[in-house]
Order: sequence, then C-alpha cells, then structure tokens
Amino acid sequence: MIPACPLADLPRGEAFRLEIDPPVSVFHTEDGELFAIDDTCTHQDASLADGWVEGCWVECPLHASKFNLKTGAVDAPPAKRPVRTHEVLVEDGMIYVRLSAATPNLPPCVATKLAGVLA
Amino acid sequence: MTSTSLPDSLIATLPGTSYTDPAIFAQEQECIFETMWFCVARSSELTKPGAFRTVDVGRESILVTRARDNSIRAYFNVCRHRGARLCTEAAGEVKRAFQCPYHAWTYGLDGKLVAAPNLTKMPDVGRTEYGLTPVATREWLGYVWVCLAENPPSFEEDVIGEVVTRLGDAEAIERYGMESLSVGSRITYDVKANWKLIIENFMECYHCATIHPELTEVLPEFADGFAAQYYVGHGAEFGEEVQGFTVDGSAGLDRIPGVAEDQDRRYYAITVKPQVFINLVPDHVIFHRMYPVAVDRTIVECDWLYMPHVVDSGRDVSRSVELFDRVNRQDFDACERTQPGMSSRMYAKGGVLVPSEHHIGAFHDWVHERLGTHQSQ
Repeated sequence: MIPACPLADLPRGEAFRLEIDPPVSVFHTEDGELFAIDDTCTHQDASLADGWVEGCWVECPLHASKFNLKTGAVDAPPAKRPVRTHEVLVEDGMIYVRLSAATPNLPPCVATKLAGVLA
Repeated sequence: MTSTSLPDSLIATLPGTSYTDPAIFAQEQECIFETMWFCVARSSELTKPGAFRTVDVGRESILVTRARDNSIRAYFNVCRHRGARLCTEAAGEVKRAFQCPYHAWTYGLDGKLVAAPNLTKMPDVGRTEYGLTPVATREWLGYVWVCLAENPPSFEEDVIGEVVTRLGDAEAIERYGMESLSVGSRITYDVKANWKLIIENFMECYHCATIHPELTEVLPEFADGFAAQYYVGHGAEFGEEVQGFTVDGSAGLDRIPGVAEDQDRRYYAITVKPQVFINLVPDHVIFHRMYPVAVDRTIVECDWLYMPHVVDSGRDVSRSVELFDRVNRQDFDACERTQPGMSSRMYAKGGVLVPSEHHIGAFHDWVHERLGTHQSQ
C-alpha cells in the first residue's frame, strides 16, 4: 500500500497525483467517492489529474477522451485503450492506494525512442 | 497673404499623408491604440464564464473572456509555446479552457497553463509563468476597456476625464445608468476611411445642415453648425414640435428614470479618444466603438441601449434606431468621399478648418503629441 495524502487535503472535485512510475492519481468526486487510476492518458502523455471530473468520468485536458474512474474504460477516441484502476483505502484519515498488478497501457513515448536513436 | 499664412478665420488640418501613409498608421497603432484604454466589448456580450471575443487592438489580437469567478479577463491571443493564434473566431464560447490548435497547450479561463503534452515531464515549467499574458481591463458604463501598456495610464483621467471635460462631471453620464440598459440594436459599419476622418466628423457640425436633414429637423440648433461638443455641458435641445429622438420626430421609448430634468429633451455627444463616441438622449444611449484596421479602413460597431423592459417586451425601436443609423451612413459616406482626396497632390499640405471646426485643431495637436511629431503649422 502506498500512502497518497490526507483525505482532508483532497477536496471534492480535485485530484492528487502520486509521483511514482508510472504516475497514479486519486480522484475525489463531487459525490464524495474516491477512485485511483493511472494518471497518464493512453493516447498522449497528459496528466489526467489536470483534467476535468464529471460524475465518475475524467476528461483528458488535451484531446477530450474520457476515462471511467470506476472501470478505467475510455469513452471515445483519440484514446483507445483503458487506464488501470487501483484500489483506494482510507485509514485514520489517510488515503492509501494498492497498485494493480496489470500491465499499464502507456502512450507511445516517442521522445524516449528518439533519444535512443539520437544518443 | 503668402502661401503659408492663412486668414484668421482658418486654421490648417493635418497633411494628406496623415490619412494615407501606412507608416503613420503603424505609429498611431503603437503610440495611441496600444498604449491607451481601448473599448472592446459590451460586458453583457460575455454572458458567462468561457464566453469570449477576440478584438484587434493596434497590431495585437486580444482575447477577452469571463473567468469562473465572473470577472472579465483579457489576454494576448498568442500561444506561449510557439506563438500560434489561440482563438481565430471573432466570438464564441469554450467550456473550460482555451486550447491551442497547434500542440494543444491548454489554458484555464484564468490564463494559467492547465495542460500540455509531456508537461508533467517538465516540472520546471511554471503554470503561471507560461500562462497567457494578461492585459489590463476595466469595466465602465457596461463596457469593457483594455489597455496594452505595461503601465496603463489612469482610467479616471483618460476615460472618465474625457466625459467630465465634455459634460462637466461624471455624474451627468452616470444618471443614464448605462450598465443596466439593454442592447436594443447593434449595427456594424465597414468604413473605407481613416479613423481620424471619422473622429473629426463626429467633432464638428458644420456639415449637419447639409448631410443630416433628419437630425437637423430634430435638433434645429444644429443648422448653425456648432456641434454639441463645442460647449462644455451643453446639450442640443429638441425642436418644439419634436416628441422624441426618432427619424420622424415621433415619440421615443420610455425615458431613463435617472435622467435629470435639465437633461430631458436634450442630446449630448461625447468623444472619448481614441475610439469611442457616446450620444445621450432621454430614452436611449448610442454607443460607438471604432476599430481601425488599416490606414484607409475602420470598422465601427454601434449599440442602441434602452431600458431593459423596452427591449424585453419587444417594443418597436426601429424609428429610434433609424435616426442615428441614417446619421451614421450619411457621415460615413462623407468620410469615404473624403478618403481618396487625402492622397491628392492638391491636398498634400492639408485643408482648412473654419471657426466652428477650430476645436478639431486641438485633436490634431493631440495626435502630434502622441506620435511625438512636430506640429505642421
């Protein structure tokens, strides 16, 4: 279990980004539910924590694909693959995340490949 | 009389090149429109957060919008990344953010950089530092003014001060409650003339009896050629038989309650340099903004403002609108007729102003002062 942040520091409608590799974000919905998903959009490197939460969906701030916070499913292109979902627990006012064992669906990292070629 | 001296009755205008030279227009953009307060929109056009308008101010495109807290914001309409124009539409609405169509740099309504591809891998890129570059804004009379200067001049002196100079005090215009009036009509004119010809036209009434038969019928004193702008605090009185400020002198709409007794049945005109003209009559306000787009082309946007219930109930404002719409068309036709003459060899040294136009000389001095050029005479 990885500690994220105190529940009191995460108001409804906001997200907390865990700086792990790959990053994971915890969302506190307007309805008061907590969800954790991979923070990176599966289409292009963008932080979903910077996106917009509506109900139990988060909209990517770059190209408007929406991810379901409960299931990780994506609603429409340009993103095509789901994000992973992670288990969230609250103990003594602290939010914890238990990471999924599945393989993440990360966007193609052109920059890394290019760096390899140019190095 | 030598060729350079004028009879006492006449003073010189600006030379013809002042109205035709693109280099002079570029200087005016820099030293006038990009440094002074410039009116860009009616506040009520920006109906809710995310509603926006783009307006050219001098050589810059400016994005005017309303943030989540309902405050008016204005930014340079230029992406901080590679300089693409952020919004190309003249007006519209975004839900949450402005996104550059080139690399998807995304800015909140407060201007902050919200997202960009790979942004999380660049934690040293400040979201405010690389947010949209803000421009100073003010709201007055229900209109939004912006100023592109790094240190904007005093709005109180430059904008409100112009009204005080004309009417004697700011209260005189505030009695019309313009911020709570509704737009009953808006007409946009595309005028093929230099902006200064339009200002000069608004400042004098020597032409009134010749080209404005309807206006002179409603305001008989205009026939003597002295504009309402000639005397401080003076409003031209409606003719005896005239019931209202309409194209045929028939009754107008409901009087604005704040209008004082001594303002009733009178017409006031104010020029707020460099691009606003305001006309006040008891039942409505006519508000013009000029957007100079080239040395020989100016867009003029004109609003007719009435009491909200007059507009909401669909009352017929057409005779009221038609009076000044005709006046505008008559004036802009005259300006367009004048523009070609500005490049005539005969007009190289300019023309002359008669006594009832001499106050236009002060406008010319002001232009010289702003551009840091010497007076021609």
